[in-house]
Amino acid sequence: MSFMTATMDIDVSQIPENHYFVVHPLDDQPEEKIDTSMLGPMPMTTSVKISLMALRGYLVLMVILVGYHCMDLAGVFGKH
Amino acid sequence: MQKVVAISTAGAAAAPTLVRGRIVRTKWARNVLMFLMVFGPGLIVMVADNDAGAVSTYVQAGAQYGTKLLWVLLLLLPTCYFIQEMVIRLGIATGKGHAAMIYQRFGKWWGVFSLIDLEMVNFLTLVTEFAAISLAVSHMGIPPYLGVPVAAVGLILMVLTGSYRRWERITVFFCLLDLAWLAIAVRLHPSVGQMAHDAIVPSIPKGGITGNLIFLVIAIVGTTIAPWQLFFQQSCIADKRLRFSDLKWARLDTLIGAIFTIIVAGCMMLAGNAAFDGGIQFADPAQMANALHLAAGSQWVRYAILLLMINAAILGTGAISLSSAWAYGEVKGWPHSLQLPFKQAKGFYLTYGVCVAVAAGLVLIPRAPLQLIILGVQVLAGIILPSAIIFLQLLLNDKELMGDYVNKPWNNWVNWTIIIVLFILSLILAAQVVAPNLFPAA
Repeated sequence: MSFMTATMDIDVSQIPENHYFVVHPLDDQPEEKIDTSMLGPMPMTTSVKISLMALRGYLVLMVILVGYHCMDLAGVFGKH
Repeated sequence: MQKVVAISTAGAAAAPTLVRGRIVRTKWARNVLMFLMVFGPGLIVMVADNDAGAVSTYVQAGAQYGTKLLWVLLLLLPTCYFIQEMVIRLGIATGKGHAAMIYQRFGKWWGVFSLIDLEMVNFLTLVTEFAAISLAVSHMGIPPYLGVPVAAVGLILMVLTGSYRRWERITVFFCLLDLAWLAIAVRLHPSVGQMAHDAIVPSIPKGGITGNLIFLVIAIVGTTIAPWQLFFQQSCIADKRLRFSDLKWARLDTLIGAIFTIIVAGCMMLAGNAAFDGGIQFADPAQMANALHLAAGSQWVRYAILLLMINAAILGTGAISLSSAWAYGEVKGWPHSLQLPFKQAKGFYLTYGVCVAVAAGLVLIPRAPLQLIILGVQVLAGIILPSAIIFLQLLLNDKELMGDYVNKPWNNWVNWTIIIVLFILSLILAAQVVAPNLFPAA
């Protein structure tokens, strides 16, 4: 066998000894992963929940602020 | 010694069924081949981040401060690697995209908020990409009414082949074109000693800390680490179906991508620096390209910079539109894979197509408020990024989700440091929006 074969359909049990078989991820059988839909929401401590609520408030405020600033620059509220 | 090593654990279990692959004789060849098969998402996510906005930011930084801000880029190398490394683990462990993870683990509010925020920032960024294409083609003598639609159609056709691998190969080819920035940098004869000094020794440019300097540093950080990258690479990994055994190669891919992109960004800064040294004034990279060919003594530098601008915008547009389409498909529960033909994933491809087509169309409207859009992109991206990384950090500490791939304590130290720095920069950016005269002018 040469250094490397071309890509082909191979019976894994027929691979010569001391050789390596390499499969592209897309040609491989799908790997079993964790079923995330069964996990539900992430369990969080109270401090994490409070931090996320604060983050939510900050983000909403900032988006409103940026929106206002952009509209102001666009002249929506009249020219300065 | 193990006689036969099947890289595919799932495939090995399925013997004697036929599995598509290659047989190699040496371990070294196996490793190289494995790397080449996994290679792609890491390079693409990093190089696509050097999009049209990034080209503009880096050359501006070079034009205003010479090589004095090269150290910022060097600091960003481990930062962007560590962030994307977390994305790789999350993608491989779950086989799902980032938007789906936020939706499932943090609930509907955060899921919808993250999605709307991402889609909004992405769309505005796409407009800036097409604005750059319009600018570059017009400097090359091609009417934007021809150049922009051709680019948009090309971008749509690129994903419609029904083959992830084909899309990836084409995109990697475009990424490698960025090597031309190295040739341009060499042609401009930068001072190697000065460059090395400024890259390694952090220093504040002459004039001290001004509003302009702070804004530029934030822009460099914001353009090097962007929210869409988290969504893009995780979805890309899920679409490519990377396996647990691919983790080390995916990390190497991302590290190479990070190094490559920082070197290219440095070259862009050096191009700006050449303009700085030559006293060349410019408002955008296309004007710089026109002026720099005199400094470089060659017309090819001009065309190379203009073509690289288009290339950067094409790469950025492709990756950003895909991150939008993947994220939307994940949340809506639509089929969302580049492996699927159009008929089987209409929602996914239509989202991509609409993003590209509307952004391209908007650029062609006379007197579209492009400066306002650019400002909106920078500010919104600056706001969304730290919070997006917080979710990433929480997901990576989720033992139920990550199992053995959960963050180690040192990962958490590094990542919280990055989050704190990004939050400070985000707050400074917010303060600048509220009070533009907060910092002294240049």
